[in-house]
Amino acid sequence: MPDPRRRRLEIRDVTHVYEGKTATRALDGVSLDVFENEFLAIVGPVGSGKTTLVRIVAGFLTPSSGVVLWDGAPVAGPSPERGYVFQEEAIFPWMTVRDNLQFGLLAQGVPASEREKIVAELVTLIGLEGYERAYPKELSGGMSKMVEVARVLATDPAILLLDEPFGLLDAQTRSKMQDQLSRLWEEKRKTVILVTHDIEEAIYLADRVVVFTPRPGRVQAEVVVDLPRPRSLETRFSPAFLELKRSIWKEIGRA
Amino acid sequence: MNGLWRRRLWRALLSVGALAVLYGIASEIGSALLPRRIWMVAHYLEDVELLPPYRSLLEETVFLIQSGILPRSVLVSTARVFEGLALGAAVGVPLGLSMARAARLECLLDPWVTFFRFTPALALLPLYALWFGLGELSKILLIATAVAVVTLLGAYQGVRDVPRVYLEAAKSLGASKGLILRKIVWPAALPQIFSSLRIALGLAWVTVVVAELIKATMPSLGYLLALAGAYPRVPTIAVGIVTIGLLVLACDAVALGCYAVATRWMKRSPAHA
Amino acid sequence: MRPAEAARPPKARRVWLGLASVVALVAAYTLLSNAYRVVDPSLLPDPIRGVLRPQILPPTQRIFDAFVQLVGAGASPVGGAYVHTGDHIGGLVEQRVTLQGSLLISTYRVLIGIAVGGSLGVLAGLLMGWSRAVDEYAHPIYILFRSIPPLALITYVMLWLGHGTAHVLLPIIYAVFTVVVIPTYHGVRDVADIYVKAARALGAGGRLLLSRVVLPAAGPFVLSGLRYALIIAWMTTVGVEMLMADEGIGYLLIGGGMWSSRLEVAGDPAVIVVGIVALALVGYAMDAGVRVAGARLTEWVKR
Repeated sequence: MPDPRRRRLEIRDVTHVYEGKTATRALDGVSLDVFENEFLAIVGPVGSGKTTLVRIVAGFLTPSSGVVLWDGAPVAGPSPERGYVFQEEAIFPWMTVRDNLQFGLLAQGVPASEREKIVAELVTLIGLEGYERAYPKELSGGMSKMVEVARVLATDPAILLLDEPFGLLDAQTRSKMQDQLSRLWEEKRKTVILVTHDIEEAIYLADRVVVFTPRPGRVQAEVVVDLPRPRSLETRFSPAFLELKRSIWKEIGRA
Repeated sequence: MNGLWRRRLWRALLSVGALAVLYGIASEIGSALLPRRIWMVAHYLEDVELLPPYRSLLEETVFLIQSGILPRSVLVSTARVFEGLALGAAVGVPLGLSMARAARLECLLDPWVTFFRFTPALALLPLYALWFGLGELSKILLIATAVAVVTLLGAYQGVRDVPRVYLEAAKSLGASKGLILRKIVWPAALPQIFSSLRIALGLAWVTVVVAELIKATMPSLGYLLALAGAYPRVPTIAVGIVTIGLLVLACDAVALGCYAVATRWMKRSPAHA
Repeated sequence: MRPAEAARPPKARRVWLGLASVVALVAAYTLLSNAYRVVDPSLLPDPIRGVLRPQILPPTQRIFDAFVQLVGAGASPVGGAYVHTGDHIGGLVEQRVTLQGSLLISTYRVLIGIAVGGSLGVLAGLLMGWSRAVDEYAHPIYILFRSIPPLALITYVMLWLGHGTAHVLLPIIYAVFTVVVIPTYHGVRDVADIYVKAARALGAGGRLLLSRVVLPAAGPFVLSGLRYALIIAWMTTVGVEMLMADEGIGYLLIGGGMWSSRLEVAGDPAVIVVGIVALALVGYAMDAGVRVAGARLTEWVKR
């Protein structure tokens, strides 16, 4: 999409090398822009540096060279402004669902009554009424992942960074989670970067898909997804969807 | 599940019961066959019951309880164990936590922690006796030293094993260092701290017994054993050993209970079936 | 899950900082322990006056002297330099108790404890982990016995076995045994189980199953149990020797004396410090040995 919209994130010529016994070049001169309320997906094979890139955007890593600008200012360290959902299980197992959801609010000194209100809204949003006092061990994998997403949404971040959030779930749960995430996004309209190796997931959710090369990661192609919203099961079987899937597979084949 | 536990309990009672009956028989045969005069280093010990039968054990228990010796000894020794435990943990846990969080402190303290880890705490007894006298203080400090080393290592390892993803998640949600320490690091390390406390409690009992055997005043369990060994009066020794064993068992059960409560949020692996 | 990786300084810097901390503390101790030569202790306020005495804080050079004397004790003639037998080091030298000799005897006791107690413990752990019936009958009895501190048994054991070699070794064997059982048990029960099922499905059984599947799978657990057992064995050995043996490092620390009168003779802190440092070094060396040998034996473990 040619964008009249506001540019929020600028990634300029970012290269990252992991130092160690054998230095590994994970990213090689990546440049990308992300716009206001855009849902961007990054796909690529394992080891293509896509996780490295979102970790840099989140502020967990400092790139070896290049800059990341958020609203024009360089990123320095993690911030609740850029919410991050991890590939691993990152729900705090010693906290109840409620305490997990309000942790970010607690960190920002939001008063208790306000916290309760937001938690109640989020619980309804992800359909976990009655589980407020449950420990994560009582939740299924999909449910606890949804709590993690909601925990990040609680503090109303400007951008959502999703690092293979459903990578550890089974195929059926994953597709349910994708539906739920899609609905959530329709409702909240946030800027999102989704990292995934699942091409269908990328097309189903995103406005734009960026394809990475194998290590070291470089932007190989960009595909605009102009499928109508809201998307549904029918979307997955539409000719346009299959055509997009074919073109992305072709790009990967050329790498 | 219920039937499984009932069978376990039944089998446990059966084997412990069988052991008790076997001892009863052995002690009856033993009191007829075993020698009552024993040559020890320089002289004969007279009238030794090597396997005291149940009735003399019972008589001895009644005597020790009625005279107040046993209850007082139990109180004194238990108090020492818990004073040492509290003191040692109060030093070991914060030190372990700070070492795991501050790399430079860790480097500075590392050789000393290693040193104390491989120094049997009991070896410090003569030094402590010299420094702090032969009274209460040196015993409690000895237990505290043993406890401090174990809990320091437990707290340190507990913090180092906190998965990085939890720390990053908390940081990206905007948590301050203090909040991360209170709400993330501490609860995540707590299970390991509790396990180390359980080990430390067992070690504290080992330490107190020896500290009291070597030099103590009545009443205390270690001294009861030492005195009974010097006469020797086997029923007293037996009652002392059984009492210590039961106390250790009870302490361990309490520690295990605390651990279970503190970690009720943890996923348990399904029981062995 | 990846564990926390705080920014750790590089290895060279770690070693350097550690060394600096040791040197600094030894230097500070040397200054402090020699302060009594410069300052008249009787002028100092009470608690400091009590502490700043060579009888309490032996000067570093005295500790070194004690080390030299204890190493050479076997060579010096009886009644030579130390005629007065009242003091700690004099008594030891007179009895020709050397540091290396004492360490050797204690190490030998520890090794016997590990060898006998370790094999019995591994055997018991294997049986209990392998068979549910054995587990259900034997575990309660094991827990009862485990609860008794080994050193509490010593007065009783002595009546049976007399005052000799066996009664010193028995508590050590017993201590090692109780420590090794549980890790072996968990290794066999919780870890090896799935591999045992897989191997059975492939038709393996009997000795093949035991030697090629159960033992290797439980191996890392047994090894970590042995490392802890080593610490417990040293603790028990020192305890027994302090209580009633006539030789070994525990005896050296306590300076002899009979039984309940032990510790009534004021110890020489210099001797005690030498003994403690020697113990720590030997303990560390033995642990390092088990660690290296263990790493060889369990090369397949992901680290």
